[in-house]
Amino acid sequence: MTMAAMGGVLVVGYGNELRSDDGIGPAVVAHLAHDRRFRDVDVRAAHQLTPELALDASGAALLVLVDAATDAPAGEVAVRRLDPGEAAGDVLTHHVDPAGLVGLARELWGAAPPVVIVSVGVASLDVGDRLSPAVEAAIPRAADAVALAIEEHRRA
Amino acid sequence: MSQTIVIDPVTRIEGHSRITIQLDDRGEVVDAHFHVTQFRGFERITQGRPVHEMPALMARICGICPVSHLIASAKAVDDIMAVEPTPTGADLRRIINLGQIVQSNALSFFHLSSPDLLFGFDGDPAVRNIIGVARKHPELARDGIGLRRWGQQIIEWLGGKRIHPEGIVPGGVAFQLTAEVRDRILAGVPEAIAAVERAIAWYKTDMLRWEEEAATFGNFRSAFMGLVDRHGNVDHYGGWLRVVDADGHHLADKVDPKTFNDYIGEAVEPWSYLKSTYWKPMGYPDGLYRVGPLARLNVAERTGTPRADEELEKFRWRVGRIASSSFHYHYARLIDTLHAIEKIDLLLRGPEILSHHVRSVAGINRHEGIGVSEAPRGTLMHHYKVDDNGLVEWVNLVIATGHNNMAMNRAVLQVARKHVKADRLEEGMLNRVEAVIRCYDPCLSCSTHALGQMALRVQLLAPDGTVLSELAR
Repeated sequence: MTMAAMGGVLVVGYGNELRSDDGIGPAVVAHLAHDRRFRDVDVRAAHQLTPELALDASGAALLVLVDAATDAPAGEVAVRRLDPGEAAGDVLTHHVDPAGLVGLARELWGAAPPVVIVSVGVASLDVGDRLSPAVEAAIPRAADAVALAIEEHRRA
Repeated sequence: MSQTIVIDPVTRIEGHSRITIQLDDRGEVVDAHFHVTQFRGFERITQGRPVHEMPALMARICGICPVSHLIASAKAVDDIMAVEPTPTGADLRRIINLGQIVQSNALSFFHLSSPDLLFGFDGDPAVRNIIGVARKHPELARDGIGLRRWGQQIIEWLGGKRIHPEGIVPGGVAFQLTAEVRDRILAGVPEAIAAVERAIAWYKTDMLRWEEEAATFGNFRSAFMGLVDRHGNVDHYGGWLRVVDADGHHLADKVDPKTFNDYIGEAVEPWSYLKSTYWKPMGYPDGLYRVGPLARLNVAERTGTPRADEELEKFRWRVGRIASSSFHYHYARLIDTLHAIEKIDLLLRGPEILSHHVRSVAGINRHEGIGVSEAPRGTLMHHYKVDDNGLVEWVNLVIATGHNNMAMNRAVLQVARKHVKADRLEEGMLNRVEAVIRCYDPCLSCSTHALGQMALRVQLLAPDGTVLSELAR
């Protein structure tokens, strides 16, 4: 059983690492893996949010998602809490959006954690395996935002 | 006036495609085509690369079935190196491949097709998805998610990564299995079996609703092809090719997969990037055959594992020794999954499974190699030619979805003729046309690589559908 499934914190950074800045989510969680602040946190990278994550999400006390944002300036880090009443977007074949993920957790396992979404504005989504400079520079700030969200959750 | 109905894109399949249905002046369906509109080109991209890189490159073809390409590719490179994987290496490859079968079959049945079966083909499109399934039949959704997760974990634990794993290499596998990982996988077997058996029980009850659909859902006489072991049972990794006709007679048996080019031809049509394969002795297009879970059950004597064999007996009692309706791919896919779980259990309990002899080593000993295995969607063939330095000169990939291409087109036409009425088009009619494609679970990302043979046609049409101009290359 995973730490998240036992009531811990689950952090999922997701995106396509072969689409330049879309890989910011996996890049942030790779950074977290070497950060002592996150040693008791279940940290994972994913290509996209899949229905299978709903099982672990259902057991977590907090779910933090790290994703790329196309509607923000490059490198800008934003934090928002998912509204529990937010409806799921398009439900596609292999992946779900954050609201769909917690919706599945709630429907199937009767529990869904609060969700914090940390997003980083992107400069390029072209084919490529490197982040643009502004986005790469945002990694420590995104990590701090994740840490703050976890700290606030634990204080509450 | 004649008209064309276009379904674009076809949803809940792997990749991009569209369907066109041609109606005559009276509104009757006269023709229908399944067009694959994406292009990938791995056969050309990989030319000039060192052949030992091929398994890792081929795994990038697909995020759903990377293991299938890894297996076929590694076997092709084994052939070039004239090397046999160690017994433990071969068994670990089998286990990873079966994990792939479980997770991909679960995706196809539970995530993509169960919404149609649960809500009906005329059901509200807004709920015909995995979240709708979770609300109406949570146990089914939980079982699907659990099975897929277990299969993915096997791939991750044995292959190094869940998507695009790298643990399968020429000569065997890269990593020795530990007792801890073996026991972790074994601990999940009882629940995996229970989950798929619950789904089979539900399906067997539910399928009674669909008898009329099954009668016209790609229901036609054809040949079937798959790999079988020395006993004639299902083999997902090796063995021999067997082809049976619509009555179960052997058209070919104990065919060395490395000789597949003697039996299988490839044709290109101007309206699709997807090649159509055919059984050479019967020519094109008469040599239509099907592959995948339904074909595996049709060609084999048995599956070779007890629970799956018990279900296979019931399957044959219900649908006949040779099931001809493509609708039964769903049922066959569940039995295929049950067999895969049982086989994983058996292999993990083998006395040598923890051996550190997991890889044979050799150099370039041949200029040509062929690797064949069973992917979730059917028989997969990789064929490479290399130079003296092991650099790739030529690649041909024969993919399960290509084997099924002619059958999918015939199935689309049959369903369209039965259900599409031009005077009153309804969502349920068009959904049935899409759904018959889902029976085959096609993977278009896997199957569109033939640069140089690609078919492209651009038509300029007048408002009445008349072709004013056409460019083809």
